[in-house]
Amino acid sequence: MQITSRVLIVDDEAEFSETLAKIFKRREIDVDTANGCLMAIEKLKASEFDVIIMDVSMPGIDGIQCLGMVKQQWPETEVIILTGHASVTSGIQGMQGGAFDYCLKPIDFGELLEKIELACEKVQINRGR
Amino acid sequence: MPFLFDRIRSLFRGTPRLTPAELQAAFRDHYKEFRALLTANNNALELMAEMEEALSVGHPFGMSFVRGHCTALSVNIYKMTHHLTRMADGKYAGLEQPFLHISREIEQIIAGRPVNVEGAAVLSMADVDAGMVDQVGEKMANLGEVRNRVGLRVPDGFVITAAASRNLIKVNELQAEINRRLKGLALDNLEELYSVSAGVQSLITNASLPEELEEEILAHYQQLATEEDPDPLVALRSSALGEDSSNVSFAGQYRTQLNVDRESVGQVYKEIVAGKYKSQAIVYRKQRGFRSQDVHMCVGCLRMVDAVVSGVLYSRAPDDPRSTFVIIQAAPGLASNVVDGSAATEQFLVSRAVPHSILDQKSAAEKDSGDALQTLTAAQAAELADVGVRLEEHFGSAQDIEWSFDQAGLCYILQSRPLGRAASDTPSFDEPSAPLAQDQSQEEAELPTPIHTGGVCASRGVACGPVFTVRSSLDLLRFPKGAVLLVETPYPDWASLLDRASAVISETGQMAAHLATVAREFGVPAIFGMKQALTTLENHSLITVDATACKVYEGRIEPLLALAFSKPNLMAGSPVYKILVEALQHITPLNLTDPASPFFNPQSCQTLHDITRFCHEKAMVEMFTFGERYGFDDKAAKQLVVDAPSQWWVIDLDNGFRPDFDPEARYVDLSHIVSVPMLAIWQGMTAFPWAGPPPVSLRGFGSIIFQSTRNTNIDPAVRSSLTAKNYFLISKNFCNLSVRLGYHFAMVEAYLSDLLTESYVSFTFKGGAADDQRKAARIQLLADVLAHFAFRVERKGDALTARVEKRSVEFLMERLKVLGYLTVHARQIDMVMGNQHSIRQYQEKFLTEITTLLEKPEGVTP
Repeated sequence: MQITSRVLIVDDEAEFSETLAKIFKRREIDVDTANGCLMAIEKLKASEFDVIIMDVSMPGIDGIQCLGMVKQQWPETEVIILTGHASVTSGIQGMQGGAFDYCLKPIDFGELLEKIELACEKVQINRGR
Repeated sequence: MPFLFDRIRSLFRGTPRLTPAELQAAFRDHYKEFRALLTANNNALELMAEMEEALSVGHPFGMSFVRGHCTALSVNIYKMTHHLTRMADGKYAGLEQPFLHISREIEQIIAGRPVNVEGAAVLSMADVDAGMVDQVGEKMANLGEVRNRVGLRVPDGFVITAAASRNLIKVNELQAEINRRLKGLALDNLEELYSVSAGVQSLITNASLPEELEEEILAHYQQLATEEDPDPLVALRSSALGEDSSNVSFAGQYRTQLNVDRESVGQVYKEIVAGKYKSQAIVYRKQRGFRSQDVHMCVGCLRMVDAVVSGVLYSRAPDDPRSTFVIIQAAPGLASNVVDGSAATEQFLVSRAVPHSILDQKSAAEKDSGDALQTLTAAQAAELADVGVRLEEHFGSAQDIEWSFDQAGLCYILQSRPLGRAASDTPSFDEPSAPLAQDQSQEEAELPTPIHTGGVCASRGVACGPVFTVRSSLDLLRFPKGAVLLVETPYPDWASLLDRASAVISETGQMAAHLATVAREFGVPAIFGMKQALTTLENHSLITVDATACKVYEGRIEPLLALAFSKPNLMAGSPVYKILVEALQHITPLNLTDPASPFFNPQSCQTLHDITRFCHEKAMVEMFTFGERYGFDDKAAKQLVVDAPSQWWVIDLDNGFRPDFDPEARYVDLSHIVSVPMLAIWQGMTAFPWAGPPPVSLRGFGSIIFQSTRNTNIDPAVRSSLTAKNYFLISKNFCNLSVRLGYHFAMVEAYLSDLLTESYVSFTFKGGAADDQRKAARIQLLADVLAHFAFRVERKGDALTARVEKRSVEFLMERLKVLGYLTVHARQIDMVMGNQHSIRQYQEKFLTEITTLLEKPEGVTP
């Protein structure tokens, strides 16, 4: 299935975001990156995104806090939490905060793409597209 | 999106009914939640099976595996509770409390109890004993015990403690950077491993030594100075916490530096601390299940012994705890020459009983002169035997001891640790080069002539692989998995290859070398001291190594390989293994088994498995009572009218029944069903009558009785969920069958479409009444049969998943018949799976009957 939706990657590790973005672009996914929560909020205000891939550990506002802010203002945007430090607590916190799903680093790209696809499908149904 | 269920509920409170189209849409939403719940359920069961498998298989896993799996599991179970709550309009919100409670327990186990590394930074050897292992590491704690409690001679010195090394890392703020570099490090990428290892070590060696610590080290060093020797040379020895415990040798994995002077002691100390991150130590920790964070490097600083002769002493033969002799390997000079495998040694077998007579003595030729070595006098050998016996008595287990005699003839103990238990088996010291066991020797006549023989057996066993010669670190990077490691000298540094090597051959060395200890521990066959091996054995040629008989054959020798020992489970008992075992106590036990019980409620969920079981059961109920609840009769579960002992219920999602079917009817006849996949499954289920429970042997029956004590659902006398209803969820082209037949759970799902990309058939099978071994045997049988019919099969413990995708409708229908057949006929056969004959018999029966079934498109008349 072709994903025609917009994806925003939020991660303070620029190298990681850019690599992921390149892979997405190769699969013709419309993708943008943000190096932290505040930049992500700015980008969300400027244009509509369907899915956000959000790293948990970021300096300043962490991924779980940022998730709360995003879901409050853009409840229909789905967030997939990403982390290199798996923790049961952060996993549950993310899901309780309204995350669509949770992915561990190092990433299984197939798995991540599948989750993005499902999240996009949900967003599009909710938005009545 | 406004939640449609809420609308439905409000509409039914005296408001007009929804239109059929709205109700159908509501049902689809309901079904969507149900599907999502089933997906999370399958993911959760798969994760549990992977964790259980990790315990039994013995492949290395680290904390990232434990943490990642526990996290993924919690996320999936959270999803289940979430979807169930939505399906049931919030009815099961009480699940949150037990879920959070269990998850917190698991998180605490994973976080672990931090090792206590408080206390003094430097301690004199005069103040150290075995009780201080958390401060000074096991090696130095044992040595302190030898000196202060047993009263044997140990070089003077001091220990720089775990608190000091922790402080070194803390003051220089290195931990976060070290963690970052180690994160996600793939151990099979040797180039990355060596690069990360070198980088991390360099961070530590370049760090500044805290001033206070440096002063304290020098003050203790000064105490070793005497008038005759004002600037004594010392040996710095690693003594990591967790090192040298009875099942884990860590032999030679860390660093020892000899002949260190006053000026260098600070820098060398940092190098020894950095040695925690030597590549082979990183690999070893992972393979043996140690968490890096739990390993703290302590460093012993001992005055050098001016050694005339040194060596290793085993207080018993490693493979025989009742042996009546000690084994001594001795070489001129320092003990390090013996343990790094570089020196030619003399071996003594000395009686444990007074007067400790020499029972056997084998001398190797000296490297330079070629003369036979003469290392120990009879009195010295007897003194060492006495030391071995005393230390074994004191520590309560056989000991592996390093020793030296100085110029004055005084014996110093440099190390005493539990003698490593051999992995699969070990060299037999009664017959050091014993060939294969007697019953095998008859077959030896049929073996080809070996291409090379000689040396000593450093680790018994047989293995086959291509020869790969390693001379340098560059060769390490290219070492292929499964190759035979061929080296000139068995340096401990080669240990990082032992998880990749099928066998080891070294031109020099003997069985006391560190590499031999680690090879025995890992169950890798090894021949040391095999002269001319580098010349005779051609690189990349395929050879079979019979380490037990010290023989090498050209090619693959199947009769010998058939005798190879299985590798030991290296993870068993390790810290990471124990953490996983402890975490699984809160994950896998299933207590919530009987849905009819008053205790089948959220409050009774004690494990994550209980929660999955509860969610799954209640989701089924919610799904199949949807029609009843909302008066949506044409979607309510209808009982299938069939002549079968089990109850079958069918729910029509969309055009699964004939248009003329009466939606008010409570029963449905097979003739009313038009669901293509359901009819195919049913054909497979009914093609051959089930033969009834298999005749059970006393053992198989005993296994069930034992299981019944753990799971009351298996007691046939008790009414249980196992006799409950089985459901088909259908549409014209879709079918989901959830079935509990006997003691297993199976799910078949299919969507048939002319668009190949949409079409699939999937199968999940789990459980059984017999013990784990029999259940696993049934799973293997099913896996073999399914693979025969082109299913992609994955098996984990007693669970199996199988899929076929993107194939024609005709092909998939045939597969559905196969699954229908297996769902019925695999029933209860796990009881007789302890017997190879039964397994073969069932396999033949299944393949024959299924083939007959598929050959007749209209099915088989019983």
